[in-house]
Amino acid sequence: MDQVQTIIQVAASGLLMGCAYALVAVGFTVVFGVMNIINFAHGHIAMAAMFASFALNRYLGLDPYVAALCLFPTFLIVGGVLYRIVIAPAVTASHATQMLVTLGLLIVIENSANLIFGGDLRSVRSSLGEGSLHLGSLVLPWSRLITATGSLLAILGLWAFLKFTRFGTEIRAAASNELGARLVGIPIGRVFIQAFALSTAMAAFAGAMLVPFYLINPFVGYDFMLKAFVISIIGGLGSLPGAVLAGLIIGVVEALGGFYLTASYATAMVFGLLILMLLLRPAGLMGSFRS
Amino acid sequence: MAGLLEIETISKRFRGLQALDNVSFTVDEGGVFGVIGANGAGKTTLFNIISGAMKPDSGTVRFAGQVVTGHKPSSLCEAGIGRTFQIARPFPDLTVLETIRVAALCRLRNMRAATARATDIAGRFGLAQKLDRAGRHLNVLERKRLELARAYATGPRLLLLDEVAAGLRPVEVDDLVELIRSIAGENITVLMIEHVLAAVFALAWRVVVLDQGHLIAEGPPLDVAKDAKVIEAYLGAGYAAA
Amino acid sequence: MKTPAADDRTASVLKIALVAATIVIATVFPLLARQQWVVAGILILFNCYLAQCWNLAAGYAGQFSLGHTIFLATGAYASTVLFRDYGISPWIGMWAGALIAAVLGAALSAVAFWYRVRGVFFAVITLSAVEVFRGICSGWEFLGGTSGIFLISANDPADMNFLSRVPYYEIILGMVVLAGLGTLWLERSRFGQYLMALREDEDAAEASGVPTFRCKVMIIAISAAATALAGTFYAQFLLFIVPETLFTFDHVLNMMLGTIVGGSGTVIGPIVGSALFGLFGDVLRALPFVGSREAASLVRVGYGLVLVVLVLRLPRGIVGLWRWRS
Repeated sequence: MDQVQTIIQVAASGLLMGCAYALVAVGFTVVFGVMNIINFAHGHIAMAAMFASFALNRYLGLDPYVAALCLFPTFLIVGGVLYRIVIAPAVTASHATQMLVTLGLLIVIENSANLIFGGDLRSVRSSLGEGSLHLGSLVLPWSRLITATGSLLAILGLWAFLKFTRFGTEIRAAASNELGARLVGIPIGRVFIQAFALSTAMAAFAGAMLVPFYLINPFVGYDFMLKAFVISIIGGLGSLPGAVLAGLIIGVVEALGGFYLTASYATAMVFGLLILMLLLRPAGLMGSFRS
Repeated sequence: MAGLLEIETISKRFRGLQALDNVSFTVDEGGVFGVIGANGAGKTTLFNIISGAMKPDSGTVRFAGQVVTGHKPSSLCEAGIGRTFQIARPFPDLTVLETIRVAALCRLRNMRAATARATDIAGRFGLAQKLDRAGRHLNVLERKRLELARAYATGPRLLLLDEVAAGLRPVEVDDLVELIRSIAGENITVLMIEHVLAAVFALAWRVVVLDQGHLIAEGPPLDVAKDAKVIEAYLGAGYAAA
Repeated sequence: MKTPAADDRTASVLKIALVAATIVIATVFPLLARQQWVVAGILILFNCYLAQCWNLAAGYAGQFSLGHTIFLATGAYASTVLFRDYGISPWIGMWAGALIAAVLGAALSAVAFWYRVRGVFFAVITLSAVEVFRGICSGWEFLGGTSGIFLISANDPADMNFLSRVPYYEIILGMVVLAGLGTLWLERSRFGQYLMALREDEDAAEASGVPTFRCKVMIIAISAAATALAGTFYAQFLLFIVPETLFTFDHVLNMMLGTIVGGSGTVIGPIVGSALFGLFGDVLRALPFVGSREAASLVRVGYGLVLVVLVLRLPRGIVGLWRWRS
């Protein structure tokens, strides 16, 4: 009986993390779906937001969850600026160029963070996230519950935006058929910048939401990037529901894998799975693949 | 008697469209062979299948007696089939000389020999002044010449030309025709997919006509031109009666 | 009046003289310099060499692998395990490592290319492969798990173990020079022409008779083997292999920065790019108000910016500036 309880506890914890992971991946997968770019710097944007949250907490005493809400619109603008300066010229360029540009961005962000804050691990606690919810024998920390809920709400918001607003519909049209979208007069330039700005804001929000219980240092960007890869590719590049599903799966797999196996072997397995996916079913679970 | 290239009952389907339906013909060694047809007739699909870019759903392609269906383009090249691309694809950052030399290296292992041969070929195709020009800086005509030069440099027995005359002015078409004629004169068999009928009629000894994936006529160009089915395919039923 | 041919010859002679002079100065340098400079030199040369290896696959053949860390690790672990368990000298063990890396690289890339994985997705697959390897190396007790393997410092030239830093310097210098010569030979060979053609346009190259699959697998195997040699050097120089420091993304990023900024697809580009990178860092570090960490980060931010600008404006890198096609 104890075994089952432990499994459920671990799985539940993983599920909650999975929501946040899904949020990290969602922006990444949207950018690919819309403009066919693999943004290697995506994870580092989340990391940058984490440091921003840290700074806001350290110098203004802002609670991380409040900071997250402030950082969302901020990073919408940041994303727009990044797109104009760095991404826009690369959209029409070769894969190699896109890769090098986003890797260059990654390098700049990571080392700027290292320069300003140093490589020490930081942590921030949220007063709102103290304590845990007791559900029968399950112990669910409030911070994780809030983060998971916030993540799901954000994803839901994005989904609603894409489905019900005009801007969102244009983004979906561009993702589905760029040429067709152009032909009907959709301003692709504007669509791209909006999609990228949204993606940046989502990544930032995800990073900021993870702050209350995730250790911050400049090198977590790499981990987020890998998570985004795994989730997006398994879920299907360009697919929002795919990212959510895969995010939850990865959260649970990571939790259970880390509990029963060494973390190392669990990692190896996940990426082995990813390689298989890329080879055999590049469209992922739910994606429609534009190669 | 077996020909150089034998197309046997080639069929290819794309989702809802039967691009090629049991197409068969033989290309004998020597001379120029044309494949014509209206847009959408399946010429490009056929070309892609012969040149190894695509696999047919059924049927065989035989070259010099060997089955080559679905073989990689580079092994076809080695076997003696060279091809041009419809929209010329020069190597953007390689010079004209380097580009032709890559193709020449197919037959000549030695770099010096290949460079010499590439220089010769460039001269023959009117690119002697442009040896050091990078691919990305060539104009349309130069690109087409480079395409031809490159395919020729692989030392083919069979040269596949994909709508080489497209987009050229009549004067340029005449030059091209002369060039192809001299290539054919070297005992290289030429198979040309062509839309510009003037070029086909000037060069081809035999043509096949495709219409919506079917082979509807085969024979010397002038005979085919009078064939009622061909006229109907190109111009509509009204003209066939005339 | 000099004829154009005589001009060319003069230019060639000057180039060779310059290179020879540089090599001589570089060789003599450690005998006159302080140990910390020698170590700095070793690190710079190490990065130069790695960039040269990466350049073979990425610069000449256009295959952007983000997985070269695997080959570095293979070389390091292979020679070290052979030494630890069988007493085989790393001078021999490094070739075993190179062979294993070549086979590994060939196998991984063959599978990827078989499934028509190209461009960015190839990069993503290689990155995933690194994580698989990291996981295995961190978890497998035979390889020391997360603690890794430690070697003892001794004065044992036969086992590539030196107390002085100078021999290490000369070794890595030799590797850089040999890699440079190897790259030069490649550039002028038939194989090199094939690689450049397939880098430019794989389908057109295929149609021109280039056996692209074979060539791609071959160059990655070569690049992998060369990288593995550096892995053995790494293990023998640092005297420890720890997955956490071995499997950082930094190695690949350094290779990439050095190559692209210096000039990909050229012989001296990776050397120039990596050398400048290291030199800037050392110069900054020497300044009184700049700490070691800050110097490194600052240089990397700078290089990152240069990378972005370069890639968007000048795809040929620094060396490309004067090799620009008319």
